[in-house]
Amino acid sequence: MYRRVSIRLRKQFVSVLILCAGLVCSISNAQAADPGAGKTLFQQNCASCHNVHKKLTGPALAGVESRWADKALLHKWIRNSASVIASGDKYAVDLFNAYNKLPMTNFPSLTDADIDNILAFVQQEESKPVGGDKAAAGGGAAGADGKDSGNNSLLFGIITLILAIVAVILMQINSNLNKLASEKEGHDTIEPVPFYKNKVYIALCILVLFIVGGYYTIQGAINLGRQDGYMPEQPIFYSHKVHAGINQINCLYCHSSAEKSKHAMIPSENVCMNCHKAVTEYTGPDLFTAEGKKVNGTAEIQKLYDHIGWDKDAGRYTKPAQPIEWKKIHSLPDHVYFNHSQHVSAGKVQCQTCHGNIQDMDEVKQFADLSMGWCVNCHRTTKVQFAENNYYSIFEKLHNDVKSGKVDSVTVEMLGGTECQKCHY
Amino acid sequence: MKRTSNILIVAALAGGAFLASCGNKGPHHRNPGKIYAPDMYESRAYEFYSARLASMKPVEGTVKRGAMLPYHLKAEDTAQANLGRNPLVLDKAGLDEGKRLYDIYCGVCHGQKLDGNGPLYKGGDGPYPAAPPAFLTGKVLGYTEGRIFHVITYGFNVMGSYASQLDIEQRWKVVGYIKNMQNGGKAPEAPATAAPVADSATAAAPVVAAAK
Repeated sequence: MYRRVSIRLRKQFVSVLILCAGLVCSISNAQAADPGAGKTLFQQNCASCHNVHKKLTGPALAGVESRWADKALLHKWIRNSASVIASGDKYAVDLFNAYNKLPMTNFPSLTDADIDNILAFVQQEESKPVGGDKAAAGGGAAGADGKDSGNNSLLFGIITLILAIVAVILMQINSNLNKLASEKEGHDTIEPVPFYKNKVYIALCILVLFIVGGYYTIQGAINLGRQDGYMPEQPIFYSHKVHAGINQINCLYCHSSAEKSKHAMIPSENVCMNCHKAVTEYTGPDLFTAEGKKVNGTAEIQKLYDHIGWDKDAGRYTKPAQPIEWKKIHSLPDHVYFNHSQHVSAGKVQCQTCHGNIQDMDEVKQFADLSMGWCVNCHRTTKVQFAENNYYSIFEKLHNDVKSGKVDSVTVEMLGGTECQKCHY
Repeated sequence: MKRTSNILIVAALAGGAFLASCGNKGPHHRNPGKIYAPDMYESRAYEFYSARLASMKPVEGTVKRGAMLPYHLKAEDTAQANLGRNPLVLDKAGLDEGKRLYDIYCGVCHGQKLDGNGPLYKGGDGPYPAAPPAFLTGKVLGYTEGRIFHVITYGFNVMGSYASQLDIEQRWKVVGYIKNMQNGGKAPEAPATAAPVADSATAAAPVVAAAK
């Protein structure tokens, strides 16, 4: 009996203890605002329109408490801004007018403690430097990988030269020994012809020079007009690596017409402004040009603003837009027909197949040589997605062949992809 | 004999040197090199960046062949826009297309899970400073189809307009996908016949007109 009572008492004691602890916690929460809880609340409720350091739809929140004369008024404003404006508070009315009379969403459900938590989070963020150490952290990776391959041919050349010299020396030794041997035996020796008068040598030299010269002539003639590797300096250092690689923006986000039209299209500036209205500075890893010069990403974004006439401090367009004169890299001559949508939508070809790993390129260079042999090779080997593809529905005979098992897959060539007039007409 | 071969060698070497120099792209390949026939490479059809032709919109009132009828509401007509209804009846393929488009154009900010946490925001660590709203919780749950379409068309707060990237039909497909996901992401109950696009677009217009 006594034991049972004591157990019950102990249980109650424990639950009371937990209750007390909870109370203490909640009180201390209310007293010292918790920036951690504030962060969650901030991201759920405020972050769509406010940033701590940056003016977005609403003002930057850094120093907000010092701007409002009265904390109670700020709380009232957050719960219902219209009532504060109606009360005629001068700061509130000016603020409302400065932001295009766009009313702030009401948050009647936020308690005083919630708002204090949010303000504590804002204060905590305020003291952090803008942009943070992110730039320093990822900087090392991008810089150093300039030259790592491509010196092999030089090495082979040197080895060949050394071997050739060794061969010549050995031949010389051989002929001297022969001479000595025949002198010893008493034979007459013919006075050797010097090598520059030796007809065999001369003939060999002519042949080698002719072949080398001919090789360069033919290679030069073939490569004339091929621009693979071409990497012009663009008017703005736009890094595909940052956009498509690090930030995972789909190629089609900007080049949306690649699946709709013949051209993949350079996006117009309004597409840049979808993000860059808010993203005004670059905080990613350091960027370098091919020459190794460091690029100031924020200054490059400013170039975009200069072109489109956006005033980032005022947050509106102040000047007429000018086109950015990007340099075209991939150009096919006029006598070749090429259609992006046909390859992207019907053929389901990945962008990288022809353009290389664009998502790893800071500066874009031409990946393929865009020669006819390159086109035709791909058309010969690529299997199209033939079934359930509306684009190929009219190829009745081939569909029957696939069904009857006569052919197991269909290449572009089987659909006429290597006919002359498919691309030249 | 010797003379001919000399001439041949000189010609081969000179030709090789000349042609190799023509293809020269300079350090870091900053030059495109020479081409045979510039008038075939540089098309007369284009006039890049001329002030007359760059950044131009289609002529007012033109409708692309096969496209849906234009959306006439202006950015500030939000009250009417809220009443708009999706003229498309989307089947499974239509919703899949909506998802594909959503993942490309919207998911980068609003998250491919529709949670408002795409790679550009990354819970506040990404480069984008504003938190994109989630679609499966919060205020967007209460948005009508027409409201979402209107926001995609004209943008809202820091979000820009997507009218230049998504045509009207694609925008409605995205709306259909978002609404479908908000309603639990069920597969559509096999609509017998998808109404022809143009007809349903005109049918939707009177709804808006009646609301005036």
